[in-house]
Amino acid sequence: MAEVRYENASRIYPGTDIPAVESLNLDIPDGELLVLVGPSGSGKSTALRMLAGLEFVDEGSVYINSEDVTLTPPQDRDIAMVFQNYALYPNMTVQANMGFALKQQGVAKPERAERVQEAARILDLEPYLDRKPKNLSGGQRQRVAMGRAIVRRPQVFLMDEPLSNLDAKLRVQTRTELADLQARLGVTTVYVTHDQVEAMTMGHRVAVLKDGILQQVDRPRTLYSRPVNLFVAGFIGSPAMNLVEVSSEGTDGLRLGSLALPLDEQTAHDLAALDAGDYTVGVRPEHLQLASEGIAGEVTVVEELGSESYVHVTVEHQGGPLLLVVRAEGETMTQRGDNVLISCRGPVHVFAPNGERIGA
Amino acid sequence: MEVGKKRAVSFLLGLLSWAVALVFFFPIFWMVLNGFKEEIDANTDPKLVFDPTFDRFDEVTSQTQGLLGFREAFMNSVWAVSISTILVLVLAVPAAYALAIRPVAKWRDVLFFFISTKFLPVVAAILPLWIIARELDLLNTRLVLIILYTAMNLPLAVWMLRSFFSEVPKELIEAAQIDGAKLRGQITSVILPIVAPGLAATALLCVIFAWNEFFLAVQLNPVDGSTIPIWVTSNVSTRGNFLAKLSAASTLATLPVVLAGWLAQKRMIRGLSMGAIK
Amino acid sequence: MSQQTDRAEQVKRLQRREGWRRRLPLVPALVFTIVVTQVPFILSLWYSLTEWKIVPPEPRTFIGFGNYVDLLDNRFFREAVWTSVWMTVSAVLLSLLLGTLLAILLDRKFFGQGFVRTLLITPFLIMPVVAGLVWKTQVFNSSFGVLNWLLDSLWFERIEFVTRWPLWSIVSVLVWQWTPFMMLIVLAGLQGQDQSVLEAARVDGASSRAMFFQVTLPQLRPYLELGILLGSIYLIQVFDYVDVITGGGPDSTNVPYFVFQRSIGGGWQFGQASAYSIVVVIASIVIATFGLRVLSNLLEGEKP
Repeated sequence: MAEVRYENASRIYPGTDIPAVESLNLDIPDGELLVLVGPSGSGKSTALRMLAGLEFVDEGSVYINSEDVTLTPPQDRDIAMVFQNYALYPNMTVQANMGFALKQQGVAKPERAERVQEAARILDLEPYLDRKPKNLSGGQRQRVAMGRAIVRRPQVFLMDEPLSNLDAKLRVQTRTELADLQARLGVTTVYVTHDQVEAMTMGHRVAVLKDGILQQVDRPRTLYSRPVNLFVAGFIGSPAMNLVEVSSEGTDGLRLGSLALPLDEQTAHDLAALDAGDYTVGVRPEHLQLASEGIAGEVTVVEELGSESYVHVTVEHQGGPLLLVVRAEGETMTQRGDNVLISCRGPVHVFAPNGERIGA
Repeated sequence: MEVGKKRAVSFLLGLLSWAVALVFFFPIFWMVLNGFKEEIDANTDPKLVFDPTFDRFDEVTSQTQGLLGFREAFMNSVWAVSISTILVLVLAVPAAYALAIRPVAKWRDVLFFFISTKFLPVVAAILPLWIIARELDLLNTRLVLIILYTAMNLPLAVWMLRSFFSEVPKELIEAAQIDGAKLRGQITSVILPIVAPGLAATALLCVIFAWNEFFLAVQLNPVDGSTIPIWVTSNVSTRGNFLAKLSAASTLATLPVVLAGWLAQKRMIRGLSMGAIK
Repeated sequence: MSQQTDRAEQVKRLQRREGWRRRLPLVPALVFTIVVTQVPFILSLWYSLTEWKIVPPEPRTFIGFGNYVDLLDNRFFREAVWTSVWMTVSAVLLSLLLGTLLAILLDRKFFGQGFVRTLLITPFLIMPVVAGLVWKTQVFNSSFGVLNWLLDSLWFERIEFVTRWPLWSIVSVLVWQWTPFMMLIVLAGLQGQDQSVLEAARVDGASSRAMFFQVTLPQLRPYLELGILLGSIYLIQVFDYVDVITGGGPDSTNVPYFVFQRSIGGGWQFGQASAYSIVVVIASIVIATFGLRVLSNLLEGEKP
């Protein structure tokens, strides 16, 4: 059981100028499942590998349990890692794979067998203990990789996209099992994924990275409702937030065509203090609705998901077409070609030209 | 109709393959066959029907005072080949590790250097080698062949092993590191089991090249410490008929390597070509 | 402050140690290779600038480039160079061509495929000395050779192949031994082909001919190059075959055999022979430059 801390940690790959991870500061309390999420090249895997000791920390430090492990080799960090392709030892049986770390620690054979047995029971792997990895299905391999991690009872679990090689259905199922397992074991976990749905559903807190820089770390709900900048706003949420460039006209607030956007008090106040200019407004699809009044547009696509549907509407804005996604109830009567009116009930997020959020 | 035609073409191509293979194999078949003949049957128009005899094999393997015997040559070959192959592996495995698994910064240049030594013709080195060997009293010893066969096969072994080593997934070694394995554990538990087939193929190729080597052996070891290829040529005589005897000797000389090659053919090829091109 | 410098120093020390840890495993192999292959070569360079006869022993005298000047005038050396070029080029190309054809034949399912492949690779495993002797005494030989018996049965004249066509006799044996090698490399290439590309071409309606020339051949190119490269490395050094098949002579003495004859083989002119071998090295370096370019293409894009 342990807490993990990154302190101004940077990684600059030899031969490059731009850091893969730049002055990362992150505090992960004991027992938390923290998800690192971002597009490819955002430095999320590098950050994880720095904690594992597989990647050199060029500047700053990494702590596990307030012990500086920056220069400690991976062998001595007491961590376990699940790799994207599982990295199971092909020449060893499931049992030997799971017991390998214990064997390295010099744990006696009977205790080793017992602990492997226990992990196998938790993961439903008991019938496969004598098989080689090549004779297992993808899902079973994934569980062996998990088993190899939990057998050790390490201070920290590191998971590098552990579900991305599973098919969609199994992935969703394993996602919840994994979250449940982590909660039961209570081991501090750092989890890397590029899938924001995975991040939102699993993480106690989620850290969003872009170009090696930490954008925001918060609980999923906060991340969704109060994105600190334009990137987080666009990255989190599916379907994505509608982002529209609008011009502010003094104290009049912001308008999307004929539609006046409802701003909360703090935002309106902060905005009023700023110059007139171009701002980006973000509205989530569920905060727009098809209504009897508002901005007019034509329906181009209707995505029926059963319980709900997303209506893509093209409206005219600043002399050009603009696509808005509006959430409607399931079994909507709307279809392609319909002319509809859209109103906005808020909340509305406003971002300054540099991408920073305005208001609370 | 179309299918029938295709089948006929396929059958004919199969037949052609068989025919070509038999033609290619014929000289070897003929050599083995002649080894079982009396000289009088061998030194005449080609004969398929004759009384087979083992006498020629007895003849070539019998000891004659003052001449290079089969047993002696065989033992010399076994020593030179096995020790040099072991040395090659002892030197090449760490080198391949340093070129593939935790590569040094300029691994390409180093690999090129190894390979480039193969471009240096042996003739360019044979005179100084002969002089150095004479100075060090190494002429006509097994040691000189062991050293030179090691040098001869080392670049090829480094080349092949590097490609086998680079097939070991990086994550496996990282997983072993995280699992707490030290360098020794990583190598013995993770890397070696994976590269073992490649290691065997490499060793086999080294054995073949060393076993068949003639130039260095005849220049540096023509008298004592001679190897099998020299023994084979000693069965060519300028007087009398020797065809059957030579065939028997040739059969004995090639047998070990041919058998080994048959057993490992698939691996060997993969090691030579797939390793280079990926 | 001092803590920071401590840290920086510690990092530096760690990185230095890591660098050496990576380099260390290379050292034994590198040192061994340099000592055994480079030192003799440098000695050769030195010898080539001297006049030096060992039997009967004469003192070594430095004569500069004299040996090289003589060498240009030496008709026998020029002939040996041409023999070497012909031997290597024709043997490599013929075995590559034959090997490719055989590989295409073998790259299909048919009865006894594995057995046929085994038969076909066997010549490559045969000791070169044995190959040379067997072909000379049992295939080419005018009285007992199989080939001549065949000619005789078809009412042709018997021919002493080895004396009539020494170069081509040697090349035939070389081709016999190296065709299997080329075949196996090309076969590996054929079997490593990207099947989806083949399927895409078939869907696009390509004929078998077009498929071979426009899809298969380009994919095979690196394999063909590798075959040429490895074949040239080995075949330019051919010695055994010349020694047992013809024992030298016009049209069969190549450069390695020539160097041997002029030195250890009886000439004992070490200075002159060294100059010959240096010329071989220079020629090899030319081939090697080409070869290394091929190699670097092969390694291109492969990251450690």
